[in-house]
Amino acid sequence: MLLRILNYLNEHSLMLKRIFFVFLALFVVFDFSAARHAPHFFGDSIIGFWSLFGLIGCLGLIIVFKGLSHVWLEKKEDYYDK
Amino acid sequence: MISSTVLIHPTTWFLMGAVLLPLLNKREKLKKTVLVGIPLIAFTLIHWLPDSFGQVSYLGFDLVFGRVDQLTRVFLHVFTIMAIIGCIYGLHVKETGQHIAAFLYVGGSLGVTLCGDYLTLFIFWELMAFASTFLVWYRKKRRSIEAGFRYLLVHTAGGLVLLAGIFLRYKNVHDLSFVQIATNGATFADYLIMIGFMLNAAVPPIHAWLPDAYPEASVTGAVFMCAFTTKTAVYVLARGFPGFEALAILGAIMTVYGVGYAAIENDARRILAYHIVSQVGYMVCGIGIGTAMAINGAISHAYAHIIYKALLFMGAGAVLEMTGISKLNELGGLYRRMPLAMIFTVIGGISISGFPFTSGFVSKSMIIAAAGESHRIGLLLMMTLAAVGTFLSVGIKLPYFIWFGKDSGVKAKDAPWNMNLAMGIAAFLCFFIGIYPEYLYKMLPFPVNYHPYTAYHLAETMQLLGFTGLGFFIMVKKLKPKPKMNLDLDWFYRKGARVFMRFASRPVLSSDSWINDVYRSIGLRLTMALAKAISWFDWEGIDWTIDGSARGVVEGGNRLRSLMTGKIQHYIGGALALTFIILILVMLV
Repeated sequence: MLLRILNYLNEHSLMLKRIFFVFLALFVVFDFSAARHAPHFFGDSIIGFWSLFGLIGCLGLIIVFKGLSHVWLEKKEDYYDK
Repeated sequence: MISSTVLIHPTTWFLMGAVLLPLLNKREKLKKTVLVGIPLIAFTLIHWLPDSFGQVSYLGFDLVFGRVDQLTRVFLHVFTIMAIIGCIYGLHVKETGQHIAAFLYVGGSLGVTLCGDYLTLFIFWELMAFASTFLVWYRKKRRSIEAGFRYLLVHTAGGLVLLAGIFLRYKNVHDLSFVQIATNGATFADYLIMIGFMLNAAVPPIHAWLPDAYPEASVTGAVFMCAFTTKTAVYVLARGFPGFEALAILGAIMTVYGVGYAAIENDARRILAYHIVSQVGYMVCGIGIGTAMAINGAISHAYAHIIYKALLFMGAGAVLEMTGISKLNELGGLYRRMPLAMIFTVIGGISISGFPFTSGFVSKSMIIAAAGESHRIGLLLMMTLAAVGTFLSVGIKLPYFIWFGKDSGVKAKDAPWNMNLAMGIAAFLCFFIGIYPEYLYKMLPFPVNYHPYTAYHLAETMQLLGFTGLGFFIMVKKLKPKPKMNLDLDWFYRKGARVFMRFASRPVLSSDSWINDVYRSIGLRLTMALAKAISWFDWEGIDWTIDGSARGVVEGGNRLRSLMTGKIQHYIGGALALTFIILILVMLV
């Protein structure tokens, strides 16, 4: 039962992708209607601020840490055994 | 009177269990009853604890084994629940030693939570470090033996710093009671104690023991370890050092540091270990901010975190147990073979990411909101960035590369029933706390005036998580796991120690060889002369007179010995040759 649902979802990844984008749009639309009580700082009063923060933060984290790993931190798995 | 006081202390029960377990080696059923029964007894007991008990005067020190207030109760509650879950998860484990280590470890943790003075604290603190080392060693791999030794050494060093702080503090104030330390009156001694605590909370730069040791621990051992060491440290920090600015800043750095490493690591349990660093960062930061709301947030986050992090470790542990693999680059597509473990781990993943209706949503946000209310925008943004990274690495990356993605063809089936039951209980609690946060909020030490389910908070969370997901799928190729490891600060004592040894060995070597020279030129000659004299006497005097044949035996033995080369194939070859010769002789004669 469970497996069948999962397999079905796995086969219809394009549909999932579309649903995902619809939801993303809905989240931003929902932000227009959300009441802002006592905003902590300027970002709290900009509509869609957290969408941008999420996307840029995510990409930034990946780029910075993958970059660090690539140029410096990454070693072979037996590095300490030698 | 004393006996009833002793029996009311939950640690006593775990210690009794540890003594009892080896006696039940042959009786599986009884052993399993004890394994689940004792945490259950402890969980019941903590509801009946008096506010103060077990005061002992020893060598002029006032030891307090039981000091119970709201802060203690909340931690005892989650620790004992965790002990129940962990013991169920480990029911199938045959080695009694592992259960004993877990019991001693949990007992130590409860002892630290209940104690009211620094000496008692130190004793239980060391019991925890000692017992948990065995949970690493029980993996029985060479890597885990080494990691266990490093773990023990680092914790011994931290324990010594703590002990130094305790002694200095006693010298200063002549009082060992473990109470809150005022931010403006803190002395060097108090900072030493704080560093000792911070080491166990894995605060950078003294955090590297955690991602070093936890991934090498045994499957069940890691489940216990992820819950107790760091959270006990959070408890003692919340008790002793609320409002310390250093904690607020280091905590916020921790949150980002942990998720950064989690994004680049390959081993599933190492990713989770780095996530402990990140998540404990929220708690340390909350304690550092020090307002009532921030402390509440830190404690509720510790509560929620213990459950979902254990759930994640149980999920990754189930995969490791069933497949023998924990590296992401060797896994993939497992959802067909381990669907239950997948569902539980995904629940853990969305809880740690703070999805609405899960425990992370109602606890993490309280710390972030507290940072906002104290106008600490820098801390707020760092913690929100860490929340993005959390969803990226544990919410999506981990499940994606274990259960979905490219099918690795690794053979597996669902874990034993007890593992699934333990994961089920933890998964239920994740949702229960998320949907019914009053259950958790009622236990907190300060009255809670915070409502997580506001329209704005929902909008904020869903945008953050949704667009993080978008970011992941844009960069999914870059995140493909590789069979590599990443340097961390443990380099200094793993590689750096060798450099130090090489450097230090030079003066040691040269002085050693000088002593050798002296010995050779003077001592050795004297000894040789003496030995010659004695052996002459022995040879010519005693041996000749008592048993002259001895020399003949020795010579015969020497001749035989020259035939024996010590190599087994020679003996086998010799035996074959002998058989061959005998056969020929029999046939010819």
